[in-house]
Amino acid sequence: MVVNPKYKQVFVLSTAMLSFISFWKASAIVLCDFGSSAFYSGGIAMRAFGPAFPWFILGVMLFSGVMLGVYTESCIMFTRGGLYIVVREAMGKVMAKLSVSALLLDYTLTGPISSVAAGLYLGGLFDNILPLLHINWQVPSRAFAVIFALAVTGYFWRENIKGVEESADNNLKIVSFVAVVAVILIVWSGFTLYHRGFTLPPFTPVFTDEALGWTVHFPWLKAVGLVGIMMAFGHSVLALSGLETLAQVYREIEDPKIENLKKTVVIIFIFSILFTGLLTFISALIIPSDLIAGKYAENLLSGLALELHGPYWARLFMQMAVVLSGVLMLVGAVNTSFVGANGVLNRVADDGILHDWFRHLHKKYGTTHRLVNIIAITQILIILISRGDIYLLGQAYAFGVMWSLTFDTLSMIILRFKKRDEEREWMFPINIKAGNVYVPVGLFAILLVLLTATGLNMLTKKIATIGGVLFTTTFFTIFHISEKMNEKKAQLYAEDDESDEKMNLRREADISSVLPELTKDRCILVPVRNPNNLVHLASVLETVEDENTNIIVLSAKITSGIQIGGGEAMSDEDKDVFSAVVLLAEKYGKTVKPIFVFSNNPFYSMAQVAQAAGADEIVMGVSGSTGAEVQMERLAMAWGMLKKPDAPAKHVLARVVWEGRQMTYQLS
Amino acid sequence: MIRQPAGVSLSSLINPENIIFLDGKPSKEEAVRLLTEKILPRVSALISRKALFDRVAEVEKLNPVLESGFYIPHAKFPELDGFHAVLGILPEGFADPVTGLKVKAALLLLSPHKPAFFQRHLNILSLLSQTFQPELIEKLAALKDPAAVCSLITGK
Repeated sequence: MVVNPKYKQVFVLSTAMLSFISFWKASAIVLCDFGSSAFYSGGIAMRAFGPAFPWFILGVMLFSGVMLGVYTESCIMFTRGGLYIVVREAMGKVMAKLSVSALLLDYTLTGPISSVAAGLYLGGLFDNILPLLHINWQVPSRAFAVIFALAVTGYFWRENIKGVEESADNNLKIVSFVAVVAVILIVWSGFTLYHRGFTLPPFTPVFTDEALGWTVHFPWLKAVGLVGIMMAFGHSVLALSGLETLAQVYREIEDPKIENLKKTVVIIFIFSILFTGLLTFISALIIPSDLIAGKYAENLLSGLALELHGPYWARLFMQMAVVLSGVLMLVGAVNTSFVGANGVLNRVADDGILHDWFRHLHKKYGTTHRLVNIIAITQILIILISRGDIYLLGQAYAFGVMWSLTFDTLSMIILRFKKRDEEREWMFPINIKAGNVYVPVGLFAILLVLLTATGLNMLTKKIATIGGVLFTTTFFTIFHISEKMNEKKAQLYAEDDESDEKMNLRREADISSVLPELTKDRCILVPVRNPNNLVHLASVLETVEDENTNIIVLSAKITSGIQIGGGEAMSDEDKDVFSAVVLLAEKYGKTVKPIFVFSNNPFYSMAQVAQAAGADEIVMGVSGSTGAEVQMERLAMAWGMLKKPDAPAKHVLARVVWEGRQMTYQLS
Repeated sequence: MIRQPAGVSLSSLINPENIIFLDGKPSKEEAVRLLTEKILPRVSALISRKALFDRVAEVEKLNPVLESGFYIPHAKFPELDGFHAVLGILPEGFADPVTGLKVKAALLLLSPHKPAFFQRHLNILSLLSQTFQPELIEKLAALKDPAAVCSLITGK
């Protein structure tokens, strides 16, 4: 009989968060949010300052390249970053709370503006199709948009409670389809322009009183010249919404991470220029201004399809394709808003500034359902208050976008001085080296533009300013009170009854249930114990091929006895190990399978898991208490003791790795 | 039949001359001391009695009893150029004070402390752990003759 010490419990960290995606898929996720503004930003800008809008939308898209550069530098500095982390590192927690409150407004409004826009596009299509089918229903487009938006929000509310992950595959399919439609539109538009000729739109913005906001009370602040340009820029800047998604998705980008991030940024930039910038511009060349301001104000790209040169049936098919692509992309953006807002709130919660009540996990689905409920209810209220007015939503939207970008850029400037010794693999261009500091001249210029536009936006957009300040203040207050409550709780050393539920863990009775998930050709087992001693894991992540190698990261907690069903729970220290493992995997963009076991002997656990999984290699970190030789001896004994006599002959390499050195042994 | 790693064979390590029966109920320390006494003549030309006993006593604390109830106190000496072992059979066994496991077979292994021998040292530990499973240990504990013990272990 071969001795077979059993595990009491096996915890498996959910692998969903540890699977990594290609730069194509990362681009698609960002574009589903970032690119969706093409469907409404032109119409909103037109209403604010007239026919000059395409220049400014194109300008904003060019500016997106600059902001993508800023985000590239911040992503590289913080793998698990995003606005909150970046601002916290640069300016502390108070400013971080403030910035993330503004960001939440951006994410929260992404849902309503996208779903309402999708409803308006669909409503416009039905207006054309229903009469052809002899159905004489007259549905007010905004009422239909509100109903549609509520339905979509309700659907994604339910899906996010159930914890359905945002599918990068679906995003890629949607963006691919949208790209095909866009190419057809561009080619057909080129033919139309060739056939009809065109006149470039005027460059001078002409603001409505509504678009001038409070500036009408400041006679010295004329909406002309540079001020006018910055005002118009501010009215177009909502097209920049979605860049934060890049920071959220960066942790999921596969190895080589930085190279893939750069490719992602280039794809996003090209797509945005061609899709949002060029199509909006072409729309202004083809559609008469009065139709843009009237009939197509809320579905500009539908208008472009219908105003092309060709038979009506063909244009109607084109409109159907545009609406289908728009609905898919915009509806995808609704989901992104749920996932993004939930992700940002969870990031904030990790830092102790959101009360545990908010973080309670759904009993059945294990999702942060209270956060999802708050996001959904807020979005539904916004949809109802807007009554389907996309212009109103667009005005409010810019507040969160502008402040998020401003905070991010300001933080990156501060970090240049604060973290001057930290080596950066990429820096936003135009820097002057002074001592050991790269003075960020380029970033200063960007900040100046952002501050000017943000300041003017505050003055020109009454609703955005009032709503934005209210929203931001509300969330800031919630964060502040939560943080104080959490601090008191920490001082009392209160037991956290639900600490088990904070990590996305799956409990298994035995290791065998995990084995079918290991589908790659090779397998490396990496035992870990100390979150501060993961040099060996880093060496594995640095060298292995993710495509063909499973990396099992095993953490074993020693408990006496070997009976099953002890009902043990993971301690905070155990979770710290897992968190460090996840962070490292994200840094390298490689998939790992973290497994936590309760065992009576760590070497038996290693041997048993390695033999069960058919591991090709076991890579250990050096133990400070015993040393590498003793570790090898114990592994060899455990290996032999557990090895079945009829086990197939297989050579397994055991390695103990520490800084600059390693010891190897062939287990047989 | 257990497949033996290259360069390692149980028959070269265990023979009737280096098998002893430890009757009664010796403690873990006593058992290790008796095994050390038995192996001393074979290495005394290279290692002093004191150095041997001190080193074995030291590693005895480090080496855990295996879950199978087999105990392998092992020590490495730079003076050695070969492997030496003594197998002790304890019909009544002793209880390991750390784990409470009943130990009825213990093998003292002395290995050369040289890089060229480390792989073989580990192979021997692995092979011994694989060989001495609870069923075998129970059978060994019932035997009275070193030759029979050797034959049961090596299959010869």
